[in-house]
Amino acid sequence: METLRQLLVSREISELSRVTHLLDEPEQLAAAVGGVLSSAAARAPHTQLGEALAPAVERAVQRSIQKSPRTLTDILYPVFLPAIRKSIGEKIDQTFQSLNETLRHIFTWHGLKWRFESWRTGASFSEVVLKHSLIYRVEHAFLINRNSGLLIAHVTADNATSEDPQLISSMLSAIQDFVKDSFNEKEQSGLDTIRFGDLRLWSEVGPFATLVAVIRGNPPEDLHEIIRDVLLRIHEECSQALVEFDGDSSQLAGVEAQLQTCVELKQEESNQGFPWLVVALALLLLILAGGWFFLSWQSGQRWQAYVSRLETQPGIIVAEQKIRDGQFYIAGLRDPLGADPQSLLSGTQVDPDRVHSQWQFYQSLEPEFVLKRLTASLAPPVSVRLSIVNDRIVAEGEAPNTWIDRARAAARQLSAGGPLFDISRVRDVSPEVREAEHWQAYVSRLETQPGIIVAEQKIRDGQFYIVGLRDPLGADPQSLLPGTQIDPARVHSQWQFYQSLEPEFVLKRLTALLYPLNSVRLSIVQGRIVAEGEAPDTWIDRARAAARQLSAGGPEFDISKVLDVSPEARAAEHWQYYVSRLEAQPGIIVAQQTERGGDFYISGLRDPLAVDPKALLSGTEVDPARVHSQWQFYQSLDPKFVVKRLTASLTPPKSVQLSIVQGRIVVVGEAPAAWINRAQAAAEQLSADGVVLDVSQLHELNLAELNYLREAIQATDIFFYSGKVVPGPEQLPVLDRLADQIKEFAQNARKSGVTARFMLTGHSDATGRETANASISAARAETVRALLNKRGVAPELLLVRGAGTFEPLVPENSQTGSSTNRRVSITVNLD
Amino acid sequence: MLQKKICMLGGFAVGKTSLVRRFVQSIFSETYLTTVGVKIDKKNVALQDKTVDLILWDLAGEDDIGSFRVSYVRGATGLVLVVDGTRAATLAVALTLRERAEAEFGAMPFVLLINKSDLADRWAISDSEINELRQRGWQIYLTSALSGEHVDDAFRQLALMVTK
Ligand SMILES: Nc1nc2c(ncn2[C@@H]2O[C@H](COP(=O)(O)OP(=O)(O)OP(=O)(O)O)[C@@H](O)[C@H]2O)c(=O)[nH]1
Ligand SMILES: [Mg+2]
Repeated sequence: METLRQLLVSREISELSRVTHLLDEPEQLAAAVGGVLSSAAARAPHTQLGEALAPAVERAVQRSIQKSPRTLTDILYPVFLPAIRKSIGEKIDQTFQSLNETLRHIFTWHGLKWRFESWRTGASFSEVVLKHSLIYRVEHAFLINRNSGLLIAHVTADNATSEDPQLISSMLSAIQDFVKDSFNEKEQSGLDTIRFGDLRLWSEVGPFATLVAVIRGNPPEDLHEIIRDVLLRIHEECSQALVEFDGDSSQLAGVEAQLQTCVELKQEESNQGFPWLVVALALLLLILAGGWFFLSWQSGQRWQAYVSRLETQPGIIVAEQKIRDGQFYIAGLRDPLGADPQSLLSGTQVDPDRVHSQWQFYQSLEPEFVLKRLTASLAPPVSVRLSIVNDRIVAEGEAPNTWIDRARAAARQLSAGGPLFDISRVRDVSPEVREAEHWQAYVSRLETQPGIIVAEQKIRDGQFYIVGLRDPLGADPQSLLPGTQIDPARVHSQWQFYQSLEPEFVLKRLTALLYPLNSVRLSIVQGRIVAEGEAPDTWIDRARAAARQLSAGGPEFDISKVLDVSPEARAAEHWQYYVSRLEAQPGIIVAQQTERGGDFYISGLRDPLAVDPKALLSGTEVDPARVHSQWQFYQSLDPKFVVKRLTASLTPPKSVQLSIVQGRIVVVGEAPAAWINRAQAAAEQLSADGVVLDVSQLHELNLAELNYLREAIQATDIFFYSGKVVPGPEQLPVLDRLADQIKEFAQNARKSGVTARFMLTGHSDATGRETANASISAARAETVRALLNKRGVAPELLLVRGAGTFEPLVPENSQTGSSTNRRVSITVNLD
Repeated sequence: MLQKKICMLGGFAVGKTSLVRRFVQSIFSETYLTTVGVKIDKKNVALQDKTVDLILWDLAGEDDIGSFRVSYVRGATGLVLVVDGTRAATLAVALTLRERAEAEFGAMPFVLLINKSDLADRWAISDSEINELRQRGWQIYLTSALSGEHVDDAFRQLALMVTK
């Protein structure tokens, strides 16, 4: 049996034990299941497997996050990043759009309207702007399979049309592919926006499907979000169907409802929202109410203005006032002399019919009312003026004493609280007093009158008496009466005539006596009568006689300013002018001059350097033929002449200047000593004549450089051989140098204003006869002169002399003679 | 609504556009306007138990496989491989394009159309060659966009294959 069993099932048994062993050993079981797990999972029904695994996977993910969130973040990072980036981009676009639109409309009429709406609805202004400016309508919504580009669902708005949506759907995804391929775009997202004129295609890409919205108009950016939400919802609800989509859209019929929500999106322009009628009515009401308020406020204001005007009115006291039901009530006191409150109403625009007033009369003690009452009761004369000065009533002017008495009584009667009535400035004017005043005014006027002397005057019994002297040339006292308010019939005057010595009367009398010519003008100058002008000598004689006749106490009559117009007088005048001109001339001294028988004689001194007196005659209108002059020459000591003479006699060098300083002659500069000596001598001579010649500022010519040259020249000797008068050839360089030095010295000396002269002295040695020596020495000097002359030295600068043996350079004792003494020496002289 | 994405693949000027026009609009034109990118058409095909909308992606013909835009094929459920019967080389092009598409998106049903069958005098593909391909179980049609011969058959066959 066992053998049989062994034979029949031994293989199965060993197999079974191997399997049992496998199941019992977890290690081995794990290895076995691991080997088939992946293929088992692949074969399992997806839904069931997913459900079975879901809790485990969730837990696993949870653990992973708890352990290290980093890992999962890293895994999801490439998924999130584009979404985040896109979301941020959209937000920014949204902000810009809102800003743009707000700015665009901020100052327009729409803007104003929308501001109102924003205030009404509580929405922000930019929201309202976007709402109105972004008019759009979603016309189509396509849900497209992302893989194949096949249309999953399509929804159209009312009366929007399009080509075959299936074609559009495929074409859209073809375009996506095309762009992606063309620009090598790796990103997972697709084309966001396609814009064609007024039409926009916005696509939102989901994991399995793309939602494309076709929008006409100007959509707000946040529409993206709405579309994305719809897409998200579709993915949530139909994820399974989307994944499995293979062209059969019947599984996805539900998504159309979702798409419909997209297509319903729109923002249309509408004016219906704005309640124009309500606003208009409200405005009308507002205007009416405002008008009513304004009118009543205005009439109240006018009433108040009227009341305050009454209150400032003198003689009116407002006790009470009020406004009730549009009626005005007022009560108070008023002075009958004050303004009528009723009359003040006109011009205030307060309706008089609505004013109810109650006034009680009273007597105001305000000065102006008292003044009015006083004026009425006292009836002051015209000459009295009543006025208010510092709350006092003051009467000024003139009045008869009767009125003054009445006024005083009124002042006393004025009640205690009233103003003061001051009548102290009213002058008592009875007729007699007035007449006496007038008379005195007349008399004092007469007294100031020239040519009238009042001796006595008085008033007696209303009659006026006056006695005095009057010059017939003076004013008539009678003629002064009119205008003085004095009755001429009551004036008794007694006037004696006399000649007044007052200058103006004397002037009048002289004018009458002398009949002065037109060329003479008489006038009063400081109490003297002065005649001016030209007149013939006959008139002058008469005037002189009149002047003498003028009595002792009278004013002086000065006729010295009247010129004699006779021809002789004229000629004499011209002569005098000529003489005065001569006298003003420097270097001319007029000793004597006379005019006799129409001829003119003149004698005097003249400096030969001065102007010729004859030459001055021209232009003086003096006839030269009638002039007889006798002039003696003299040397004028006028500094100008002295300078001229000095310049001629001293011939100062160029380096010296002569000038006149305050009457003194000053010599300034540099000059050779010789010239300075001469100048000093001249100064001494002049000082005897009282002329100052100041030579203190004269300096001796500085000849330092010249001296060096001079020494060099004087140290030079030209040597000769025995018996020769021509120097040997070895002397020629010496001669050349000497010639140059002499020329230079002469030139420099000339520049300094001095003349240099050079004395060539010839010498001989002591051999031979003396006479021969003398002539040989002279000849040597002559030769040197000729040689120097040949070298360009002017001959007149060179003087020649023979000294023979008399001025030897070295003492001689030998018979051969000294070559040193055979020479020509040079000395330099300056003058 | 059942739709399927079908891609027309083949060398240039083999007659892809002409075939689509013939099939969809029943017209033909001698003038050659090369396709740029992709052109999409739709044809509703009624089968025994259902109707299917074929969304036909007519791709630009490329002889150079390098510039072929394979991304257009994504999501396609069937291919129409077009060969110009007068140019033997276009057969190789069509086969290569198919390989390329399958490498990217996996195997999918296709029909092979050897077009311009009306140009018999210039025919360049031998019957033996065609038979050899048929042996592989491929659906092969000799079509003419000009005359319309076998065009409907070919597309209907593919419709059947993709809706199975
Ligand atoms: N005789 C004949 N000519 C054809 C046929 N099919 C296409 N053609 C012609 O071939 C040329 C090319 O045709 P298309 O359909 O534009 O070719 P395609 O494959 O779309 O070309 P690409 O878009 O450039 O890749 C055109 O001139 C057509 O008239 C056909 O069956 N018979
Ligand atoms: Mg084409």
